[in-house]
Amino acid sequence: MNDIDRVARLAVISDADAAGLISQSARADLADRITVLAAERPVPAAKSPRRSRRRWLIGTPLAAGLAAAVLVVTALGSPGDKVGPVPVGPVKAKALTFTRHGHYINVIVRNPLADPRKYRAEFKAHGLNVALKLLPVSPSIVGTVVYFGGAGTDAIKVITARGRCFTGGGGSACPVGLRVPVNFRGQADLVFGRAARPGEKYESTVSATAPGEVLHGLRIVGKRVSAVLKMLARRHVSAAKFHITTARGIGKLVSGSAVPGSWFVYSADPWAPGQVMLSVGRTRRPAPVPAPSSAPVPSRSSQPAPVPSRTSQPGPAGT
Amino acid sequence: MWLVSKGATLRYPPAADPDERRRRFEAIYTVNCGPILGYALRRTGNGDDAADVVAQTFLTAWRRLDDVPADEGARLWLYGVARRVLANHHRGQRRKSELAERLRLDLAVTYQEPEYTGQLVGLAAAFQSLTGADRELLALVAWEGLDHAEIASVLGCSRNAVRIRLHRARSRFAAALSRQHDQPRPALAPIANGDTQ
Repeated sequence: MNDIDRVARLAVISDADAAGLISQSARADLADRITVLAAERPVPAAKSPRRSRRRWLIGTPLAAGLAAAVLVVTALGSPGDKVGPVPVGPVKAKALTFTRHGHYINVIVRNPLADPRKYRAEFKAHGLNVALKLLPVSPSIVGTVVYFGGAGTDAIKVITARGRCFTGGGGSACPVGLRVPVNFRGQADLVFGRAARPGEKYESTVSATAPGEVLHGLRIVGKRVSAVLKMLARRHVSAAKFHITTARGIGKLVSGSAVPGSWFVYSADPWAPGQVMLSVGRTRRPAPVPAPSSAPVPSRSSQPAPVPSRTSQPGPAGT
Repeated sequence: MWLVSKGATLRYPPAADPDERRRRFEAIYTVNCGPILGYALRRTGNGDDAADVVAQTFLTAWRRLDDVPADEGARLWLYGVARRVLANHHRGQRRKSELAERLRLDLAVTYQEPEYTGQLVGLAAAFQSLTGADRELLALVAWEGLDHAEIASVLGCSRNAVRIRLHRARSRFAAALSRQHDQPRPALAPIANGDTQ
Protein backbone atom coordinates (compact mmCIF):
# COMPACT_ATOMS: atom_id res chain seq x y z
CA MET A 1 0.00 0.00 0.00
CA ASN A 2 1.50 3.33 -0.94
CA ASP A 3 1.23 6.44 1.14
CA ILE A 4 -1.59 7.92 -0.91
CA ASP A 5 -3.67 4.84 -0.22
CA ARG A 6 -2.86 5.21 3.45
CA VAL A 7 -4.02 8.80 3.45
CA ALA A 8 -7.16 7.72 1.60
CA ARG A 9 -8.01 5.42 4.50
CA LEU A 10 -8.18 8.46 6.73
CA ALA A 11 -11.01 10.00 4.75
CA VAL A 12 -13.84 10.02 7.24
CA ILE A 13 -16.63 10.25 4.74
CA SER A 14 -17.27 10.11 1.00
CA ASP A 15 -18.91 12.89 -0.97
CA ALA A 16 -21.95 10.73 -1.59
CA ASP A 17 -22.37 9.95 2.09
CA ALA A 18 -21.84 13.60 2.98
CA ALA A 19 -24.57 14.64 0.58
CA GLY A 20 -26.91 12.22 2.30
CA LEU A 21 -26.42 13.88 5.67
CA ILE A 22 -28.36 17.01 4.87
CA SER A 23 -32.02 17.22 4.03
CA GLN A 24 -33.45 18.82 0.95
CA SER A 25 -35.01 21.52 3.06
CA ALA A 26 -31.73 22.38 4.76
CA ARG A 27 -30.10 22.71 1.36
CA ALA A 28 -32.86 24.93 0.09
CA ASP A 29 -32.70 26.96 3.27
CA LEU A 30 -29.02 27.66 2.82
CA ALA A 31 -29.56 28.75 -0.77
CA ASP A 32 -32.32 31.05 0.46
CA ARG A 33 -30.17 32.62 3.09
CA ILE A 34 -27.24 33.10 0.78
CA THR A 35 -29.32 34.89 -1.80
CA VAL A 36 -30.99 37.05 0.85
CA LEU A 37 -27.64 38.22 2.10
CA ALA A 38 -26.40 38.94 -1.35
CA ALA A 39 -29.47 41.01 -2.08
CA GLU A 40 -28.22 43.40 0.55
CA ARG A 41 -25.23 44.28 -1.50
CA PRO A 42 -25.35 47.88 -2.62
CA VAL A 43 -25.52 48.38 -6.33
CA PRO A 44 -24.78 51.46 -8.34
CA ALA A 45 -27.61 51.36 -10.84
CA ALA A 46 -30.55 49.04 -10.53
CA LYS A 47 -32.28 47.58 -13.52
CA SER A 48 -35.78 46.24 -13.62
CA PRO A 49 -35.40 42.53 -13.15
CA ARG A 50 -38.22 40.13 -13.69
CA ARG A 51 -39.69 38.46 -10.73
CA SER A 52 -38.35 35.03 -10.11
CA ARG A 53 -40.58 32.02 -9.85
CA ARG A 54 -37.87 29.78 -8.54
CA ARG A 55 -39.00 28.02 -5.44
CA TRP A 56 -35.87 28.62 -3.45
CA LEU A 57 -35.76 32.26 -4.08
CA ILE A 58 -39.25 33.43 -3.73
CA GLY A 59 -40.33 34.63 -0.36
CA THR A 60 -37.26 35.12 1.68
CA PRO A 61 -35.51 37.65 -0.49
CA LEU A 62 -38.55 39.78 -0.85
CA ALA A 63 -38.02 41.96 2.12
CA ALA A 64 -34.49 42.73 1.22
CA GLY A 65 -35.23 43.29 -2.42
CA LEU A 66 -38.33 45.26 -1.82
CA ALA A 67 -36.73 47.68 0.56
CA ALA A 68 -35.69 49.74 -2.38
CA ALA A 69 -38.77 49.02 -4.44
CA VAL A 70 -41.40 50.00 -1.95
CA LEU A 71 -39.61 53.09 -0.87
CA VAL A 72 -39.01 54.37 -4.33
CA VAL A 73 -42.59 53.92 -5.38
CA THR A 74 -44.08 55.50 -2.30
CA ALA A 75 -41.75 58.41 -2.67
CA LEU A 76 -42.59 59.28 -6.21
CA GLY A 77 -44.96 62.10 -6.92
CA SER A 78 -45.28 60.92 -10.47
CA PRO A 79 -43.36 58.32 -12.38
CA GLY A 80 -40.00 59.58 -13.39
CA ASP A 81 -39.59 62.16 -10.68
CA LYS A 82 -36.24 61.86 -9.06
CA VAL A 83 -37.05 61.71 -5.41
CA GLY A 84 -34.60 59.52 -3.59
CA PRO A 85 -35.30 57.96 -0.25
CA VAL A 86 -33.39 59.60 2.56
CA PRO A 87 -32.13 57.28 5.25
CA VAL A 88 -32.97 58.40 8.75
CA GLY A 89 -30.14 58.16 11.24
CA PRO A 90 -27.40 55.58 11.24
CA VAL A 91 -28.67 52.40 9.65
CA LYS A 92 -25.67 50.15 9.97
CA ALA A 93 -27.35 47.20 11.62
CA LYS A 94 -29.50 46.51 8.61
CA ALA A 95 -32.10 44.33 10.26
CA LEU A 96 -34.69 46.89 9.23
CA THR A 97 -34.64 49.81 6.89
CA PHE A 98 -36.04 53.09 8.18
CA THR A 99 -36.65 55.63 5.50
CA ARG A 100 -38.23 58.98 6.10
CA HIS A 101 -40.69 60.53 3.68
CA GLY A 102 -42.14 63.77 4.96
CA HIS A 103 -44.24 62.92 7.97
CA TYR A 104 -43.78 59.19 7.67
CA ILE A 105 -41.10 56.65 8.29
CA ASN A 106 -41.29 53.53 6.16
CA VAL A 107 -40.04 50.45 7.94
CA ILE A 108 -39.18 47.39 5.88
CA VAL A 109 -37.64 44.15 7.05
CA ARG A 110 -34.31 44.00 5.41
CA ASN A 111 -32.97 40.83 6.86
CA PRO A 112 -35.66 38.45 8.09
CA LEU A 113 -32.95 36.32 9.67
CA ALA A 114 -31.58 38.92 12.06
CA ASP A 115 -31.70 38.56 15.80
CA PRO A 116 -35.03 39.97 17.11
CA ARG A 117 -33.14 42.05 19.64
CA LYS A 118 -31.63 43.89 16.73
CA TYR A 119 -35.04 44.85 15.38
CA ARG A 120 -36.22 46.05 18.77
CA ALA A 121 -33.11 48.11 19.27
CA GLU A 122 -33.54 49.70 15.88
CA PHE A 123 -37.14 50.65 16.53
CA LYS A 124 -36.12 52.12 19.84
CA ALA A 125 -33.32 54.06 18.24
CA HIS A 126 -35.92 55.72 16.04
CA GLY A 127 -38.11 56.64 18.98
CA LEU A 128 -40.80 54.15 17.99
CA ASN A 129 -42.51 52.10 20.65
CA VAL A 130 -42.92 48.87 18.75
CA ALA A 131 -42.95 45.46 20.40
CA LEU A 132 -41.77 43.01 17.84
CA LYS A 133 -41.95 39.25 17.71
CA LEU A 134 -40.81 36.77 15.14
CA LEU A 135 -42.72 33.58 14.53
CA PRO A 136 -41.86 30.61 12.34
CA VAL A 137 -43.81 30.81 9.09
CA SER A 138 -43.91 28.91 5.83
CA PRO A 139 -41.23 29.90 3.32
CA SER A 140 -43.12 32.25 1.03
CA ILE A 141 -44.08 34.62 3.83
CA VAL A 142 -40.78 34.81 5.67
CA GLY A 143 -40.04 38.47 6.22
CA THR A 144 -43.64 39.57 5.87
CA VAL A 145 -45.94 41.13 8.46
CA VAL A 146 -47.92 38.32 10.06
CA TYR A 147 -49.74 40.40 12.62
CA PHE A 148 -49.98 44.05 13.43
CA GLY A 149 -52.00 45.83 16.10
CA GLY A 150 -51.84 47.79 19.33
CA ALA A 151 -52.99 51.00 20.93
CA GLY A 152 -53.21 54.17 18.87
CA THR A 153 -51.98 52.49 15.75
CA ASP A 154 -54.71 53.64 13.37
CA ALA A 155 -52.32 56.04 11.71
CA ILE A 156 -49.89 53.25 10.85
CA LYS A 157 -50.35 51.74 7.44
CA VAL A 158 -49.15 48.39 6.27
CA ILE A 159 -47.03 48.49 3.14
CA THR A 160 -47.96 45.78 0.71
CA ALA A 161 -46.23 44.39 -2.31
CA ARG A 162 -48.59 42.84 -4.77
CA GLY A 163 -47.70 39.38 -5.94
CA ARG A 164 -44.69 38.95 -3.69
CA CYS A 165 -46.57 36.42 -1.67
CA PHE A 166 -50.06 34.99 -1.80
CA THR A 167 -52.09 35.16 1.34
CA GLY A 168 -54.74 32.72 2.44
CA GLY A 169 -57.72 34.79 1.42
CA GLY A 170 -56.59 34.43 -2.16
CA GLY A 171 -55.12 37.91 -2.19
CA SER A 172 -51.80 38.86 -3.62
CA ALA A 173 -51.29 41.87 -1.36
CA CYS A 174 -48.23 40.81 0.51
CA PRO A 175 -47.57 42.85 3.66
CA VAL A 176 -43.89 43.66 3.80
CA GLY A 177 -43.53 46.69 6.00
CA LEU A 178 -45.06 49.56 7.92
CA ARG A 179 -45.57 53.23 7.27
CA VAL A 180 -45.34 54.94 10.63
CA PRO A 181 -46.09 58.63 11.25
CA VAL A 182 -43.02 60.42 12.55
CA ASN A 183 -44.95 61.63 15.58
CA PHE A 184 -46.30 58.17 16.46
CA ARG A 185 -46.43 57.90 20.23
CA GLY A 186 -48.66 54.85 20.61
CA GLN A 187 -47.59 51.32 21.28
CA ALA A 188 -47.62 48.88 18.41
CA ASP A 189 -47.38 45.10 18.41
CA LEU A 190 -45.81 43.67 15.37
CA VAL A 191 -45.15 40.09 14.37
CA PHE A 192 -42.92 39.26 11.46
CA GLY A 193 -42.47 35.84 9.96
CA ARG A 194 -39.13 34.10 10.22
CA ALA A 195 -37.85 30.86 8.76
CA ALA A 196 -38.72 27.76 10.77
CA ARG A 197 -36.16 25.35 12.11
CA PRO A 198 -36.34 21.71 11.11
CA GLY A 199 -39.29 20.10 12.83
CA GLU A 200 -40.61 23.41 14.08
CA LYS A 201 -44.29 23.89 13.35
CA TYR A 202 -45.30 26.94 11.34
CA GLU A 203 -47.36 29.50 13.19
CA SER A 204 -48.64 31.07 10.04
CA THR A 205 -48.85 29.76 6.52
CA VAL A 206 -50.35 30.19 3.11
CA SER A 207 -51.48 27.36 0.84
CA ALA A 208 -48.79 24.74 0.31
CA THR A 209 -49.26 25.12 -3.45
CA ALA A 210 -48.70 28.90 -3.41
CA PRO A 211 -45.58 30.17 -5.15
CA GLY A 212 -42.61 29.72 -2.87
CA GLU A 213 -44.13 26.83 -0.96
CA VAL A 214 -43.15 23.16 -1.09
CA LEU A 215 -45.95 22.01 -3.37
CA HIS A 216 -45.98 24.94 -5.75
CA GLY A 217 -46.87 23.78 -9.22
CA LEU A 218 -48.55 20.54 -8.15
CA ARG A 219 -52.24 19.93 -8.80
CA ILE A 220 -53.45 17.94 -5.88
CA VAL A 221 -57.03 19.06 -5.38
CA GLY A 222 -59.52 16.30 -6.16
CA LYS A 223 -56.83 13.62 -6.44
CA ARG A 224 -56.75 10.51 -4.31
CA VAL A 225 -54.71 10.54 -1.10
CA SER A 226 -52.51 7.67 -2.31
CA ALA A 227 -51.64 9.54 -5.51
CA VAL A 228 -50.94 12.77 -3.68
CA LEU A 229 -48.68 11.05 -1.17
CA LYS A 230 -46.60 9.78 -4.07
CA MET A 231 -46.36 13.30 -5.48
CA LEU A 232 -45.26 14.54 -2.08
CA ALA A 233 -42.63 11.85 -1.77
CA ARG A 234 -41.07 12.93 -5.04
CA ARG A 235 -40.57 16.35 -3.49
CA HIS A 236 -39.30 14.85 -0.25
CA VAL A 237 -42.34 16.18 1.55
CA SER A 238 -44.38 14.17 4.01
CA ALA A 239 -47.94 14.57 5.29
CA ALA A 240 -47.63 15.25 9.01
CA LYS A 241 -51.36 15.47 9.64
CA PHE A 242 -54.66 15.00 7.88
CA HIS A 243 -57.59 17.28 8.40
CA ILE A 244 -60.92 15.48 8.17
CA THR A 245 -64.47 16.50 8.84
CA THR A 246 -66.50 14.16 11.01
CA ALA A 247 -70.11 13.21 10.34
CA ARG A 248 -71.19 16.04 12.63
CA GLY A 249 -69.28 18.53 10.57
CA ILE A 250 -66.51 19.00 13.08
CA GLY A 251 -62.96 19.37 11.85
CA LYS A 252 -60.37 17.03 13.30
CA LEU A 253 -56.67 16.42 12.84
CA VAL A 254 -55.68 12.78 12.47
CA SER A 255 -52.59 10.82 11.52
CA GLY A 256 -52.07 9.08 8.21
CA SER A 257 -53.07 5.65 9.44
CA ALA A 258 -56.64 6.86 9.93
CA VAL A 259 -57.01 7.93 6.32
CA PRO A 260 -57.67 5.45 3.49
CA GLY A 261 -55.59 6.01 0.37
CA SER A 262 -58.75 6.06 -1.68
CA TRP A 263 -59.97 9.29 -0.10
CA PHE A 264 -59.63 12.63 -1.85
CA VAL A 265 -57.48 15.64 -1.16
CA TYR A 266 -59.13 19.05 -0.83
CA SER A 267 -56.20 21.25 0.02
CA ALA A 268 -52.71 21.24 1.47
CA ASP A 269 -51.16 23.55 3.99
CA PRO A 270 -47.58 23.78 5.11
CA TRP A 271 -47.14 22.22 8.53
CA ALA A 272 -43.42 22.34 9.27
CA PRO A 273 -40.33 22.31 7.06
CA GLY A 274 -40.72 19.37 4.69
CA GLN A 275 -44.18 18.58 6.02
CA VAL A 276 -47.70 19.49 5.02
CA MET A 277 -51.19 18.99 6.36
CA LEU A 278 -53.70 17.58 3.89
CA SER A 279 -57.40 18.29 4.11
CA VAL A 280 -59.11 15.13 2.94
CA GLY A 281 -62.49 13.46 2.73
CA ARG A 282 -64.42 10.50 1.41
CA THR A 283 -65.93 12.34 -1.55
CA ARG A 284 -64.12 13.94 -4.46
CA ARG A 285 -65.39 17.37 -3.44
CA PRO A 286 -65.77 18.54 0.13
CA ALA A 287 -69.30 18.07 1.43
CA PRO A 288 -71.39 21.24 1.76
CA VAL A 289 -71.11 22.82 5.14
CA PRO A 290 -74.25 21.67 6.99
CA ALA A 291 -74.57 24.05 9.91
CA PRO A 292 -75.91 27.46 8.82
CA SER A 293 -78.68 26.66 6.40
CA SER A 294 -77.85 29.61 4.19
CA ALA A 295 -74.30 28.50 3.62
CA PRO A 296 -73.50 28.37 -0.08
CA VAL A 297 -72.71 25.08 -1.70
CA PRO A 298 -69.04 25.05 -2.50
CA SER A 299 -68.46 25.66 -6.12
CA ARG A 300 -65.57 24.29 -8.10
CA SER A 301 -63.40 27.24 -7.28
CA SER A 302 -64.16 27.51 -3.60
CA GLN A 303 -61.97 24.92 -2.05
CA PRO A 304 -61.91 24.90 1.72
CA ALA A 305 -59.88 27.83 2.89
CA PRO A 306 -56.38 26.95 4.02
CA VAL A 307 -56.89 26.23 7.64
CA PRO A 308 -54.11 27.89 9.58
CA SER A 309 -53.93 30.61 6.99
CA ARG A 310 -52.38 33.71 8.49
CA THR A 311 -53.95 32.92 11.79
CA SER A 312 -51.23 33.91 14.15
CA GLN A 313 -52.28 35.31 17.41
CA PRO A 314 -50.46 38.32 18.70
CA GLY A 315 -49.46 36.71 21.93
CA PRO A 316 -47.63 33.43 21.38
CA ALA A 317 -44.06 33.12 22.35
CA GLY A 318 -41.80 34.63 19.76
CA THR A 319 -38.15 34.01 19.53
CA MET B 1 -53.90 50.83 -4.19
CA TRP B 2 -50.76 48.92 -4.90
CA LEU B 3 -47.53 50.51 -4.10
CA VAL B 4 -45.23 48.27 -5.98
CA SER B 5 -45.27 47.48 -9.62
CA LYS B 6 -43.42 44.75 -11.39
CA GLY B 7 -40.96 47.17 -12.87
CA ALA B 8 -40.01 48.73 -9.57
CA THR B 9 -36.42 49.11 -8.69
CA LEU B 10 -34.83 46.16 -6.95
CA ARG B 11 -31.41 45.68 -5.51
CA TYR B 12 -29.46 43.10 -7.33
CA PRO B 13 -25.99 43.00 -8.72
CA PRO B 14 -26.19 44.64 -12.09
CA ALA B 15 -23.90 42.32 -13.98
CA ALA B 16 -26.42 39.80 -15.22
CA ASP B 17 -30.09 39.06 -15.44
CA PRO B 18 -31.01 38.07 -11.86
CA ASP B 19 -32.95 35.01 -12.95
CA GLU B 20 -29.97 33.87 -14.91
CA ARG B 21 -27.70 34.47 -11.93
CA ARG B 22 -29.92 32.38 -9.72
CA ARG B 23 -30.20 29.56 -12.18
CA ARG B 24 -26.47 29.50 -12.50
CA PHE B 25 -25.95 29.57 -8.75
CA GLU B 26 -28.50 26.83 -8.20
CA ALA B 27 -26.86 24.66 -10.82
CA ILE B 28 -23.47 25.05 -9.17
CA TYR B 29 -24.89 24.66 -5.68
CA THR B 30 -26.93 21.55 -6.42
CA VAL B 31 -24.04 19.68 -7.99
CA ASN B 32 -21.37 20.73 -5.54
CA CYS B 33 -23.09 20.89 -2.19
CA GLY B 34 -22.25 17.25 -1.36
CA PRO B 35 -18.63 17.38 -2.49
CA ILE B 36 -17.94 20.62 -0.62
CA LEU B 37 -19.57 19.26 2.52
CA GLY B 38 -17.48 16.10 2.10
CA TYR B 39 -14.36 18.22 1.66
CA ALA B 40 -15.14 20.15 4.82
CA LEU B 41 -16.08 17.13 6.94
CA ARG B 42 -12.96 15.24 5.94
CA ARG B 43 -10.85 18.16 7.11
CA THR B 44 -12.67 19.32 10.20
CA GLY B 45 -14.19 16.07 11.41
CA ASN B 46 -16.83 18.31 12.93
CA GLY B 47 -20.36 19.03 11.72
CA ASP B 48 -20.56 22.59 13.08
CA ASP B 49 -17.36 23.68 11.42
CA ALA B 50 -18.15 21.87 8.19
CA ALA B 51 -21.56 23.56 7.99
CA ASP B 52 -19.90 26.94 8.33
CA VAL B 53 -17.34 26.15 5.68
CA VAL B 54 -20.05 25.07 3.23
CA ALA B 55 -22.11 28.18 3.90
CA GLN B 56 -19.20 30.58 3.56
CA THR B 57 -17.93 28.85 0.45
CA PHE B 58 -21.24 29.11 -1.37
CA LEU B 59 -21.81 32.64 -0.15
CA THR B 60 -18.51 33.53 -1.78
CA ALA B 61 -19.59 31.71 -4.92
CA TRP B 62 -22.83 33.70 -5.07
CA ARG B 63 -21.08 36.99 -4.53
CA ARG B 64 -18.40 36.23 -7.08
CA LEU B 65 -20.56 34.26 -9.45
CA ASP B 66 -18.96 35.87 -12.46
CA ASP B 67 -15.59 34.45 -11.39
CA VAL B 68 -16.79 30.87 -11.04
CA PRO B 69 -15.59 28.82 -14.00
CA ALA B 70 -18.06 26.77 -15.98
CA ASP B 71 -18.58 23.03 -15.66
CA GLU B 72 -15.87 20.97 -13.99
CA GLY B 73 -13.82 24.02 -13.16
CA ALA B 74 -16.49 25.16 -10.73
CA ARG B 75 -15.72 22.40 -8.25
CA LEU B 76 -12.01 23.14 -8.29
CA TRP B 77 -12.74 26.82 -7.80
CA LEU B 78 -14.99 25.96 -4.86
CA TYR B 79 -12.31 23.73 -3.33
CA GLY B 80 -9.97 26.71 -3.53
CA VAL B 81 -12.48 28.92 -1.74
CA ALA B 82 -13.26 26.26 0.85
CA ARG B 83 -9.56 25.86 1.54
CA ARG B 84 -9.23 29.58 2.28
CA VAL B 85 -12.39 29.57 4.38
CA LEU B 86 -10.98 26.69 6.39
CA ALA B 87 -7.68 28.46 6.85
CA ASN B 88 -9.48 31.51 8.23
CA HIS B 89 -11.62 29.26 10.33
CA HIS B 90 -8.57 27.73 11.88
CA ARG B 91 -7.06 31.11 12.49
CA GLY B 92 -9.68 31.69 15.09
CA GLN B 93 -12.41 33.29 13.05
CA ARG B 94 -14.55 30.46 14.16
CA ARG B 95 -18.05 31.72 14.13
CA LYS B 96 -21.39 30.14 14.03
CA SER B 97 -22.75 31.69 10.94
CA GLU B 98 -26.50 32.23 10.82
CA LEU B 99 -26.38 31.02 7.27
CA ALA B 100 -25.42 27.54 8.29
CA GLU B 101 -27.99 27.14 11.04
CA ARG B 102 -30.13 24.52 9.33
CA LEU B 103 -27.15 22.62 8.02
CA ARG B 104 -25.73 22.48 11.52
CA LEU B 105 -28.98 21.17 12.92
CA ASP B 106 -29.13 18.43 10.31
CA LEU B 107 -25.53 17.44 10.82
CA ALA B 108 -25.94 17.41 14.59
CA VAL B 109 -28.35 14.55 14.07
CA THR B 110 -26.88 12.71 11.11
CA TYR B 111 -23.13 13.09 11.42
CA GLN B 112 -21.08 11.17 13.87
CA GLU B 113 -17.60 12.44 14.58
CA PRO B 114 -14.95 9.99 13.48
CA GLU B 115 -12.92 7.96 15.85
CA TYR B 116 -9.90 6.13 14.56
CA THR B 117 -9.12 2.69 15.81
CA GLY B 118 -6.44 0.11 15.19
CA GLN B 119 -3.85 0.94 12.56
CA LEU B 120 -5.59 4.15 11.65
CA VAL B 121 -4.58 5.72 14.95
CA GLY B 122 -0.91 5.70 14.06
CA LEU B 123 -1.65 6.63 10.47
CA ALA B 124 -3.68 9.61 11.51
CA ALA B 125 -1.03 10.72 13.99
CA ALA B 126 1.61 10.64 11.29
CA PHE B 127 -0.62 12.58 8.93
CA GLN B 128 -1.42 15.08 11.63
CA SER B 129 2.26 15.71 12.31
CA LEU B 130 2.68 17.17 8.80
CA THR B 131 2.26 20.84 8.00
CA GLY B 132 -1.12 22.03 6.83
CA ALA B 133 0.20 22.55 3.31
CA ASP B 134 1.53 18.99 3.10
CA ARG B 135 -1.68 17.55 4.44
CA GLU B 136 -3.76 19.49 1.98
CA LEU B 137 -1.70 18.32 -0.98
CA LEU B 138 -1.93 14.69 0.06
CA ALA B 139 -5.60 15.01 0.84
CA LEU B 140 -6.47 16.58 -2.50
CA VAL B 141 -4.94 13.54 -4.16
CA ALA B 142 -6.14 10.85 -1.79
CA TRP B 143 -9.51 12.22 -0.71
CA GLU B 144 -10.72 14.32 -3.60
CA GLY B 145 -8.90 12.23 -6.20
CA LEU B 146 -7.49 15.23 -8.04
CA ASP B 147 -4.62 15.09 -10.51
CA HIS B 148 -1.70 17.51 -10.64
CA ALA B 149 -3.37 19.93 -13.03
CA GLU B 150 -6.50 20.06 -10.92
CA ILE B 151 -4.54 20.63 -7.74
CA ALA B 152 -2.63 23.40 -9.46
CA SER B 153 -5.97 25.00 -10.22
CA VAL B 154 -7.18 24.67 -6.63
CA LEU B 155 -3.97 26.01 -5.11
CA GLY B 156 -3.30 28.61 -7.76
CA CYS B 157 0.18 27.44 -8.60
CA SER B 158 1.89 25.69 -11.51
CA ARG B 159 1.57 22.02 -12.27
CA ASN B 160 5.27 21.62 -11.84
CA ALA B 161 5.16 23.18 -8.40
CA VAL B 162 2.43 20.71 -7.44
CA ARG B 163 4.53 17.80 -8.62
CA ILE B 164 7.54 18.89 -6.60
CA ARG B 165 5.61 19.79 -3.45
CA LEU B 166 3.63 16.60 -3.58
CA HIS B 167 6.78 14.55 -3.90
CA ARG B 168 8.20 16.23 -0.81
CA ALA B 169 4.96 15.86 1.12
CA ARG B 170 4.89 12.16 0.38
CA SER B 171 8.48 11.78 1.56
CA ARG B 172 7.72 13.62 4.78
CA PHE B 173 4.61 11.49 5.34
CA ALA B 174 6.63 8.32 4.85
CA ALA B 175 9.23 9.62 7.33
CA ALA B 176 6.52 10.46 9.84
CA LEU B 177 5.05 7.00 9.45
CA SER B 178 8.35 5.32 10.09
CA ARG B 179 8.84 7.51 13.17
CA GLN B 180 5.41 6.36 14.32
CA HIS B 181 6.61 2.81 14.45
CA ASP B 182 9.31 3.76 16.93
CA GLN B 183 7.03 5.70 19.24
CA PRO B 184 4.26 4.91 21.65
CA ARG B 185 0.88 5.62 20.07
CA PRO B 186 -0.67 8.88 21.15
CA ALA B 187 -4.36 9.08 21.79
CA LEU B 188 -5.82 10.91 18.87
CA ALA B 189 -8.37 13.57 18.48
CA PRO B 190 -10.27 13.86 15.22
CA ILE B 191 -8.16 14.33 12.23
CA ALA B 192 -8.01 17.85 11.02
CA ASN B 193 -6.49 19.80 8.29
CA GLY B 194 -5.85 22.67 10.61
CA ASP B 195 -5.14 22.98 14.25
CA THR B 196 -8.37 21.73 15.68
CA GLN B 197 -7.19 18.96 17.82
